[in-house]
Amino acid sequence: MILLQLVSDGLQLGAVYALFSSGLTLIWGMMNVMNFAHGQFVMLAMYVAFFCFTLLKVGPAFFVPLAAVGLFGFGVVVYLLLVRHVMRGPMLAQIISTFGLALVLQYSALWAFSANFVSLPTTLVGGVYDLGGVRLSAARLLAGATAIALTAGMHLLLTRTDLGSRMLAVSEDRVAAALVGIRPDPMQALAWGLGAAATGVAGGLIALFFYVSPDVGNSFTLLAFVTVCLGGFGSVPGALLAGLVIGVVESFSAYWLGPATKDVVVYGLFVALLWVRPQGMFGRA
Amino acid sequence: MLLEAEGIVKAFGSFRAVDQASLVVAENELIGLIGPNGAGKSTFFNCLAGDTRPTSGTIRFRGQEITRLSPDRHARLGLARTFQVPIVFAGMTVRENVMVGALLRHPHRRRAAAEADELLHFTGLAERAEMPVTALGTSGRKRVEIARALATEPRLLLLDEALAGLTSSEVEAAIELVERIHARGVTLIVVEHIMEVIHRLTERVLVFHQGRVIAEGTPAEVTADPTVIAAYLGRRRRRAR
Amino acid sequence: MIPLRRAWPVAVLVILAIAPFLTANPFYQRVAALVVLAAISASAWNVIGGYAGQISFGHSIYFGIGAYASLLLFGRFGLPPIAGAPLGIVASFVVSLIIGPPTFRLRGHYFSMGTFAIAALAEILVVNWKFAGGAIGLMGPAMPRSLADLLFRNSLPYYAIFLAVLALLLALTHLMQRSRMGFYLRAIGAGERAAESLGVPVQRYKLYALLISGAFTALAGSLYAVMIGFVDPESGFGILISVNMVVIAALGGVGTLFGPLAGAIILVPLQETTNALLGGSGTGAAYVAYGLIIMLIARFSPGGLAELWPLINRNGRRRAA
Repeated sequence: MILLQLVSDGLQLGAVYALFSSGLTLIWGMMNVMNFAHGQFVMLAMYVAFFCFTLLKVGPAFFVPLAAVGLFGFGVVVYLLLVRHVMRGPMLAQIISTFGLALVLQYSALWAFSANFVSLPTTLVGGVYDLGGVRLSAARLLAGATAIALTAGMHLLLTRTDLGSRMLAVSEDRVAAALVGIRPDPMQALAWGLGAAATGVAGGLIALFFYVSPDVGNSFTLLAFVTVCLGGFGSVPGALLAGLVIGVVESFSAYWLGPATKDVVVYGLFVALLWVRPQGMFGRA
Repeated sequence: MLLEAEGIVKAFGSFRAVDQASLVVAENELIGLIGPNGAGKSTFFNCLAGDTRPTSGTIRFRGQEITRLSPDRHARLGLARTFQVPIVFAGMTVRENVMVGALLRHPHRRRAAAEADELLHFTGLAERAEMPVTALGTSGRKRVEIARALATEPRLLLLDEALAGLTSSEVEAAIELVERIHARGVTLIVVEHIMEVIHRLTERVLVFHQGRVIAEGTPAEVTADPTVIAAYLGRRRRRAR
Repeated sequence: MIPLRRAWPVAVLVILAIAPFLTANPFYQRVAALVVLAAISASAWNVIGGYAGQISFGHSIYFGIGAYASLLLFGRFGLPPIAGAPLGIVASFVVSLIIGPPTFRLRGHYFSMGTFAIAALAEILVVNWKFAGGAIGLMGPAMPRSLADLLFRNSLPYYAIFLAVLALLLALTHLMQRSRMGFYLRAIGAGERAAESLGVPVQRYKLYALLISGAFTALAGSLYAVMIGFVDPESGFGILISVNMVVIAALGGVGTLFGPLAGAIILVPLQETTNALLGGSGTGAAYVAYGLIIMLIARFSPGGLAELWPLINRNGRRRAA
């Protein structure tokens, strides 16, 4: 029974990881630029949720969409002001630019919101269901289900719609896409917007059951790296599967080894992945 | 024999980019590899240069098996290459780019610089030696690559579409350069699209189509070969119309 | 022109050698010592991150190893902290040999991600390492027992030691820059595939660069521990330690001899002053500024100040071949 409980906890958490990792994988797949500030995007969305609740007294039905819209706009702005200019520049510029962004976001948050841990009341989405001995918290269930639905939605958007194929065309070959009349810039701005929006939804959902502080971002960035690496760079279904796997791994290692060492297991997994199959996992053939 | 490649296969999953290709090169030959886009000639070429490991088959260079050696070992043994899209060392001058090649045989900087200068002169880049390499256009960058490769003092030089993207006057100069390299005693394998260039330069040609070598012989022979016309030249004519 | 160009690095070092002795203000003297210390670690990072173009976010590991080696030897065996420096350097070699070969197969962004993850992992491990003080960290000697403890009330002796190490590192880098290794590293940074095709044993040279870079970063960590007398997981292994090196080198100009020193001269006083003015929360403000500086460099001048230099100085930098 405890096994089932761990698996179900892990899957619900993993679904949320999958959602924000699919945001990262979308950005990577579209333009081969890694977003080192990805975890800070999650952090921003979590603060949106927190302040919506404490100041406006509104629930997730309001703040999750708001976080999505807000982060969409933020992603587009980041693309237009920063990424667009560095993406064809030297490698150093590409890598350090989003790292700089991560610092600005994290320490602005520290400045503005102080280092205190804050969290939403657990009763906000209350209730625990008992399913034959496996306890399902309503908050996590809501987060997990929404995350899976949106990750699937993003996959469908990319593979089944005209807009999706235009975006993929740009990622395949900017020049060729431009020749057939697809303007690459709006498509890539859109990819950043969508990636950030998915991250916004994920952040809003995580805030339901996870504390918020200015430095939660780095561990989310690393989690997204692990997930994207495990799932295959640029693949949304891969991110979904990998997110679920990592959620389960985390919940098991937290149970067996204690919560303090669960990060060791996840990062260790990442390092091991790099070690065993750097080309296979990473190289876009 | 200088180079013997036997039964080279390169498979990506179930797709065979190169299928049972063989090639024997004698000292001082000038050989052309032709074929339509995606015919497998570039993959085959990369196998020879050590950039890609063939799925099966063996490659011997001056009697030594080199199939699985890394690209830097290839260079050390005397097998150099250029790239289809030139990769120059940004942040360095033209001379420094060539010096990177020359340092392989001449570890001392001054000596390497002298070697580089000789090759810059040979490739017509002497006046631009001090310029940042990124200031050069495609034609200049291709020359830098050739000079750099020659600086490693190769026995065999592989040129990957050294003439693609050049204007017609640049093509003339490049053909003349290839001839002078050959005259220095360097054996050459060139991948080329332009049939006229192949006719003028090479003595022997391999025609690739769908991963296989479908014809081999003098340029005149292969252009008269009906399979080649069907596979390659025919397609070209259709497109031209 | 040539004698002048030869002379100015010497002039820089002479100015640096006497500068802090001109002031009696202990704050300025301390900042001066920290500038030189930051210049050591950023110059060390520059060997692999600048010349060889491998953007490591994992150098905090080396810094932490050096700092912990010093204070562990003191705390556990009562040795003077500086005795940890050789131990830290040896440990840095071991770490380089272990993490170098697998991470070097990663290119570009992947290398940065990999080193970032390894550093994060190291920090968590140290937090959980009871022998090394866990999350609390380690202390140095409170009172000097002998001169070997290198415990001085005033920052000038540290400044002198740091400057000697920096001069050694820059001299080595200068020699490397002019040698085959310098050419090979720059070639690897600019185009690994092309470098390989010219006979450059890429992985081997990257490892050489990492060994040198890691050793000097570990030495910087030991010197830090000797001067500050305290290290915890965050100030030894924290991600910001790596970020510091990257930003300082990037601001001054990566892959240039004096770039990291120039970056340190600008950034460290800025950071120390903000910290002094804004107190505890000042750290946050300093890193917001850091982040903005990084983004501005990436956006407008990826070559750092070294890129702007030729615009200021008409003579430009004519590279001697």
